[in-house]
Amino acid sequence: MDKKTTQLHKYHLSQEAKFIDFGDWSMPFSYEGTLKEHDIVRTSSGFFDVSHMGRLEIQYTEIEKISKLICSEIVDIPSNKALYSIFTNADGNALDDVIFWKFNDKIILIPNASNLEKIKSHLVAHNVEFIDKSPDTVLIAVQGPDTIELIQDRFEIPDKFSTNYTENFLYARTGYTGEDGVEIMANNEDAESLLTFLTEKGVKPCGLGSRDTLRLEASLPLYGFELTEDITPVEASLNWTITNENEYLGSNRINDQLSGESHKVLKKFTINSRKIARTETVGIAGETKGLVTSGNFSPVLNKSIGFILFENMPSHDLIEFDIRGNLIEGNIVNKRFLS
Amino acid sequence: MSDIKYLETHEWYLMKDDEITVGISDFAQNELGDIVYVTLPEVGQEFEKGAAVVEVEATKTVADAYAPMDCTITAVNSQLETEPETINNDPCGDGWMFKAKVNTVDDSGMSYQEYETFVS
Repeated sequence: MDKKTTQLHKYHLSQEAKFIDFGDWSMPFSYEGTLKEHDIVRTSSGFFDVSHMGRLEIQYTEIEKISKLICSEIVDIPSNKALYSIFTNADGNALDDVIFWKFNDKIILIPNASNLEKIKSHLVAHNVEFIDKSPDTVLIAVQGPDTIELIQDRFEIPDKFSTNYTENFLYARTGYTGEDGVEIMANNEDAESLLTFLTEKGVKPCGLGSRDTLRLEASLPLYGFELTEDITPVEASLNWTITNENEYLGSNRINDQLSGESHKVLKKFTINSRKIARTETVGIAGETKGLVTSGNFSPVLNKSIGFILFENMPSHDLIEFDIRGNLIEGNIVNKRFLS
Repeated sequence: MSDIKYLETHEWYLMKDDEITVGISDFAQNELGDIVYVTLPEVGQEFEKGAAVVEVEATKTVADAYAPMDCTITAVNSQLETEPETINNDPCGDGWMFKAKVNTVDDSGMSYQEYETFVS
């Protein structure tokens, strides 16, 4: 089957992007190279076409129903806020991690590309009405320390984790790189003018390769790796997202785990080498076995980093990895990779 | 450059008398993406044809470079230990990986033209 491409595919081809299959999609992996694009986002400004992700428009009146499906408080936060949260199933496991953009009259829900159909079915099953705007719109993430200065003559910049809109665009000061920036949703017919605006400002195109090294360095999970339908937000060390004090799908199990019931635990690690402990690498800390969920090279730290899921809370901080038959030592880190 | 030959596993080798110089092709480095680490062999180590000699870590994946023929390592490119990106920048020049004394000659690699056809 032919892979799906985004509205901006012609642009990616014109920039001689390398492509990668990502679920049902063929997406740009890199333009000038992953490390170069990583550096662009850490030091100036880059943009990512993330139109493969979903965009569901939901009337504000549906908010109470949504509140029964996610682990975060959404009703009482101000109406111009963005919210990162997790849809949980009856067992408290993660169906998807998503972003909500709240506006006065509506909510934009952004699920992961691979989970869009699942989340749509989930909403239907729980009588949440929505309009799928994904086919008619694009989503561009503009990220990096120079972003705000570069785009502020066209976009009125909201506070961090807040939303705003113009006649043609909905946007929020959110992202997935650990840098300041905005994510902008535009109708397909406005995509080209947005692209022209960004490129004329000197914002450089970046691909999913650097998006992955950037999110990992920013200590952010990726659905399908850190998050699956076999892990709760507590096990994924995402307790900060659990702010919904009312009953929601799976809240009993999540509350039991918060009250001290033993559970598996996701940890971050570093290795003092550039040798990468990749997905499914076995790591042992003391007596506790773990499996790496994501691992890659951190350009800023100049060493190897990643996430590892342990069977239960390890008693040691030292991890021994079996990397293709070689034993390599790493360390659990409890703070963020980048300060 | 006409003496450089290529393997289906994307290494190149240049044979002079009984010594070969080995690296990976431009196609291979392009497929791997940014190379961040290489594990080089030690001088004196012996390898049979097809054995993994160098482990190449890239941001996208990890891959091995294989011995083009039975050989004994005589030199490694230690520049790659601190600047592995040299392989991306100049795979068939400064990005060479090792030199080795040939123990059993097997000069069956593809010519540049044959390799280009192979990878296209």
